[in-house]
Amino acid sequence: MIWVSWRQHRGQAIACLALLAALAVYAIIESTSMRSAFSSDGLAGSCLARSQGLGCENGISTFMNEFGSAVNIAFWSVCLIIPGVIGVLVGGSLIARELEYGTWRLAWSQTVPRTRWLAVKLAMVTGGLIVLGAAMTAVITWYRAPMDQLTGHFQHNAYDYEGLVLTAYILCAFGFAVLAGLLIRRSIPAMVAAFIPWLAIRLVVEFVFRPHFMTPVTSRLGASCLSQIGTVCGQGISYVPQSTGRIGDLVLSMNGNTVTYQPASRFWAFQGIEAGIFVALTAVALGITIWLLRRRAAWVALYPALATPAPATDRRGGRRGPGHRDPEIMRQLERRLTAEFESVSCSRMSSR
Amino acid sequence: MSEHDAGRGVPALRAEHLGRRYGKVWGLRDCTLEVPAGTVAALVGPNGAGKTTLLEMIIGLLEPTEGQVSVFGETSHADTAETLARVGYVAQDHPLYRDFTIADTFHLGRSMNPRWDQGLAEARMDTLGIPLKKKVKSLSGGQQAQVSLTMALAKRAPLLVLDEPVSSLDPIARLEFMRDVMATAADSTLSFLISSHVVSELERFCDWLIVLAHGHVQLSGPVDDLLGAHRLLTVPRATPDAELPGTVIERTDSDRHSSVLVRADDAEAAVRGRAGWQADTVSFEPLVMGYLQRGSHQSNPVPAERPGPSTKAVTS
Repeated sequence: MIWVSWRQHRGQAIACLALLAALAVYAIIESTSMRSAFSSDGLAGSCLARSQGLGCENGISTFMNEFGSAVNIAFWSVCLIIPGVIGVLVGGSLIARELEYGTWRLAWSQTVPRTRWLAVKLAMVTGGLIVLGAAMTAVITWYRAPMDQLTGHFQHNAYDYEGLVLTAYILCAFGFAVLAGLLIRRSIPAMVAAFIPWLAIRLVVEFVFRPHFMTPVTSRLGASCLSQIGTVCGQGISYVPQSTGRIGDLVLSMNGNTVTYQPASRFWAFQGIEAGIFVALTAVALGITIWLLRRRAAWVALYPALATPAPATDRRGGRRGPGHRDPEIMRQLERRLTAEFESVSCSRMSSR
Repeated sequence: MSEHDAGRGVPALRAEHLGRRYGKVWGLRDCTLEVPAGTVAALVGPNGAGKTTLLEMIIGLLEPTEGQVSVFGETSHADTAETLARVGYVAQDHPLYRDFTIADTFHLGRSMNPRWDQGLAEARMDTLGIPLKKKVKSLSGGQQAQVSLTMALAKRAPLLVLDEPVSSLDPIARLEFMRDVMATAADSTLSFLISSHVVSELERFCDWLIVLAHGHVQLSGPVDDLLGAHRLLTVPRATPDAELPGTVIERTDSDRHSSVLVRADDAEAAVRGRAGWQADTVSFEPLVMGYLQRGSHQSNPVPAERPGPSTKAVTS
């Protein structure tokens, strides 16, 4: 069964390795120039550590002008959908392809119960996706290391790819797509149907729930910020110096000279909470899938007309309901009637 | 193979009031039949008659809603290795993984079946002249059917179920495939259950006949006994059914004569001396057609709320 899973998914495994290799090549090229600019702009020394960036503003703005695209909205949008796309591409075909091509009748009639068949496949593919997610996280974290010294890990493009959540996003899209594949029975529609709720949940969690995973801290504005003209102290996408006085805090609001924020030290707690949400959603989707597959009646009942799935070649033709007059039967009837007619004519002639 | 010897006397297949409901529609209802070990049984019926539903419950892909079915005395339960191991299954249109080679396909069989016979599988491909390195998608329909059959045989199950094995093949491939099945049946103690909606191709090959229509068993028995027990009568059109011998199965009226399929032991005696009456032996195809037409006049699939009229299986 392990061999079967490997044989069926090795194409996807190779594609994922190719994707990872491409990402690594891009990261090495970009990160090399980012790292050299980081030192040549004068940021590598004690400037950041000494005064949270005060005194090296010129270096920061030069650096951000060159590499700031890593925090812009277009880049963010592309990065946003990639984990979902990986997840649905792998998950959408896992069951749907068997149903689409009728090969479920081959796979599930061997001496392996179909729930075990599914369990082995899910275990292997999930394991592969965890390895992929962890490797992507490692590459991106290494690539962005200089940038993170300026902006911290709590910013959108850092938080989403430098901890546990990237892997959890991939798994969640995968789980949704496996379930959609069982219910919709076609790979491509299942992928689309899984991607949309995944994206919705992903955005809602990021913008509605994430800022409030833990009670925010309220404090007076940092001294370094008060000493500046207000333009430098921002919120949201971070600039140096932060309004809290520490790089990496996630500022939620400023009111007068108090600031409400999530401290940078909560990064891993937040990662754990958000990854937990997505892993729980994955577990629910896969749990429903296994339950439905075991009780095949349950999902067959959803589509009575599809009780016996048509082979791929018949799909374009209309479904035949029960009681339909089969063309082959009709031809045979016709032959029989012709033969009878002939025999009746003969018997008439002989009876004369 | 010892399990076959142990199973002697035990029917290869026994269904008792077997039924399967999909939502509100019964795919199969009150199916009672028994097929002895070592026979080649034909399961005939139009599309939508419940053939695949019955087969899936035998194989262990589907759990019955009511009643039960057993293979060599062991009750079939969906999704259990014990049930799956008892039956070799050649599914409709012989699904195989198209991007697998034949060697890959056999590797799948080996890793998913504890009693897999690799020697048998390879020897069959050798005999058929199909190289193991070929991709499944490059094979002809007939060759794909052969690979599917080989998968089922190498599983070493005592009962082989073939669902519409030749419906997608051309006439020559049909004949070759069925000859191969029959040669295998002759050389072994295996029992076969072959479903088809094409009647003519089964005639020469089967020794047991089951007719299924509209979710009910219309007829089940040894082919020779069934042929012997039925007659095709030609009678004047005005003759009422009550005057006819035996049970009227199907009647076709033409201008002056009626052609009637009856189940009667004494049909020859009944027609003797009556002008315009004639009794002929019936061949396989008209017999099956008669029962299929009879089925089409009767019950359609019955909604689940009200119990359907229970058409008794005519068992000989």
